Amino acid sequence: MPIGGVIFITLFIAAFGTALIYLARWTGGRAKKTSQAKFDIYECGLPAEEKKDTKISVKFYLTAILFILFDIEIIFMYPWAVNFRHFLNTGAGLTVFGSMMVFLLVFIFGLWWEIKSKALEWD
Amino acid sequence: MTSMGITGFEIVINAVKLLIIFLLMVQAVPILVWLERRGSGFIQNRFGPNRVGPLGLVQLLADAVKFLTKEDFAPDKGNRFMFYAAPVFALIPGAVAFMAIPLSVPLKTPEHVFLIQGYDINVGIVFILGVSSLAAYTILMAGWGSGSKFSLMGALRASAQIISYELALGLSIVGIILLYGTFNLTEMIQAQHGGLSFKAFGYTLAASWLPNWGIFYQPLGMILFFAATFAESNRLPFDLAEGEAELVAGFHTEYGGFKMLMFFIGEYAHMMIASGLMATFFFGGYSIWNLTPQEVYNWCYGLVGSEQLANVLSVLLHFVSFSIKLAIFLWIFIQVRWTLPRFRYDQLMDLGWKTMLPWALGNTIATAVIIFATTYFVIG
Amino acid sequence: MTADAFLFWFLALITVISGLSVVLMANPIYSALSLAMTMISVAAIFVTLQAYFLAGVQVIVYAGAVMVLFVMVLMLFDLKHELQAFTRGRATGALKIASVGILSGLIVGAVTIGLTIAGRSSEELIAASASGGVVDTTRSLSEALFLKNIFGFEALGVLLLVIAVGTVALSRSKGGTHARD
Repeated sequence: MPIGGVIFITLFIAAFGTALIYLARWTGGRAKKTSQAKFDIYECGLPAEEKKDTKISVKFYLTAILFILFDIEIIFMYPWAVNFRHFLNTGAGLTVFGSMMVFLLVFIFGLWWEIKSKALEWD
Repeated sequence: MTSMGITGFEIVINAVKLLIIFLLMVQAVPILVWLERRGSGFIQNRFGPNRVGPLGLVQLLADAVKFLTKEDFAPDKGNRFMFYAAPVFALIPGAVAFMAIPLSVPLKTPEHVFLIQGYDINVGIVFILGVSSLAAYTILMAGWGSGSKFSLMGALRASAQIISYELALGLSIVGIILLYGTFNLTEMIQAQHGGLSFKAFGYTLAASWLPNWGIFYQPLGMILFFAATFAESNRLPFDLAEGEAELVAGFHTEYGGFKMLMFFIGEYAHMMIASGLMATFFFGGYSIWNLTPQEVYNWCYGLVGSEQLANVLSVLLHFVSFSIKLAIFLWIFIQVRWTLPRFRYDQLMDLGWKTMLPWALGNTIATAVIIFATTYFVIG
Repeated sequence: MTADAFLFWFLALITVISGLSVVLMANPIYSALSLAMTMISVAAIFVTLQAYFLAGVQVIVYAGAVMVLFVMVLMLFDLKHELQAFTRGRATGALKIASVGILSGLIVGAVTIGLTIAGRSSEELIAASASGGVVDTTRSLSEALFLKNIFGFEALGVLLLVIAVGTVALSRSKGGTHARD
């Protein structure tokens, strides 16, 4: 069963990566705290400061949600695409074609509306 | 039928095969980096590395030794577990997805049939797309584990780019699935053997000096797929995630030493998957120009005379053919990187949502209409 | 122990451990990542049940899209403030008890409905496998979607459109970065 192979190679790669990190730590040595700057985050040389109430833009959330929606619609197209020729040969081709075309019409309308309402403007 | 792990002997052979393919992938990365550095030097009219070893080939070994001897540190403000887990996780999606791509015809011995790929998943494309979509977690874990606002913003922008282009990637494949009617990659390659022949309206159009490859049926799909895979592997012109001018180095600012190398192994693994999939969908996979495997086997049999050796020889020939196609696409990746300027971030997102998605939809609808028309209305 | 049984116990163990760590870990991002791990191991269990397409869809949509959204949004918040808000107080205690009650009710209801549905549709599968054919789940799934339940399928498309409109409206609420003045 192929899933056994997938699990085996995933565990092996995780072990391999962990072994590599330990190897690098063993040969290179852990960093000694000779200066605080070594363990600070990079901010072009200035001391790092954080404001408390920075507003992060909501466009990340919008992009992710719209991605989920269109991903689900694409997932519906996969079984249709795989069995399209089979249905054409067994006579139900027009129904299958028509139902997916109506669905795609709704999809295209959604995409058009979302572009028109500037939901994905990145400035 | 293929023998994939019923007896102990087969399980051992398949485990060894998986390990060999994984190690091949990891060993291909230094070669690719050397190719990139020499190739970029050649494009930019300068020498690349040429001091260390003949033609600079040992440069990467020297770099690996240098990286191994660097100190290993993690930022104080970050999350240590995430910081160390992200490079390990970067290796996993690329390697697991590459093993599902068939590399050659199956090797037939009298008792067993061995596939020259890691595992033959029945729903090949869906599996590969799913595993590649897990690459977004690497970036998020790296950006958050670094504990710095710059890394976090870089990680969020990079993951927003990746998920936007996953849509175009998934949609540009639907045309190919409509055409071949299967998810399985081996069956897709088998449908691309032989000369070009297309059944339309009851007639058969054939031009058997051309191969039956997918590119003649889906040229727009090929362009969309190729462009989307550039964005998936964070390569120029889509490499805002690593853009030096904008966010220092994006999500891997705080990384140094060997952990940074592991991110690049993951990136080159994604490049290899993209090249392998391009070859499989649009260029016939391991098939040689317009010859079917049976013709190649007969030629080998005429050359060598024994069945076993002919089989091994045809496996090797097909593997060489696949490697040549893989190498051509990897070179195109490198060439494009050093030729085109980088996109601005809003241009990039506009391209993904407003240009590639509608074109991919149009491609799907056009393919469906053409297949419907040519099969439904029989004239001849 | 056969290979199939070993595989099942291994995957079930991973699913239960990831599921438990979703609830028991203090850091919300660890919880979200454990949930992604749970989704992936459930997809692996689907593969052992020979529902290959469903397993692929589970990984693509759930682990690759929904959980990425969760993790992205969780990383944007200042977590220390959120972590202390829900640990003590009477309202919080009542909320916890109520959510445990709702969860148990959902599980009991799902098992009951599942048993009745499994009793009904397993006759079709038994008839199909008795006639010697292999039950191809993708083909029967597409038959059900595009031939027998066309209205439900189109209604699903409209539902996704409604979700898109609602999301854009939500993102324009007052006080946010995209607020309409």
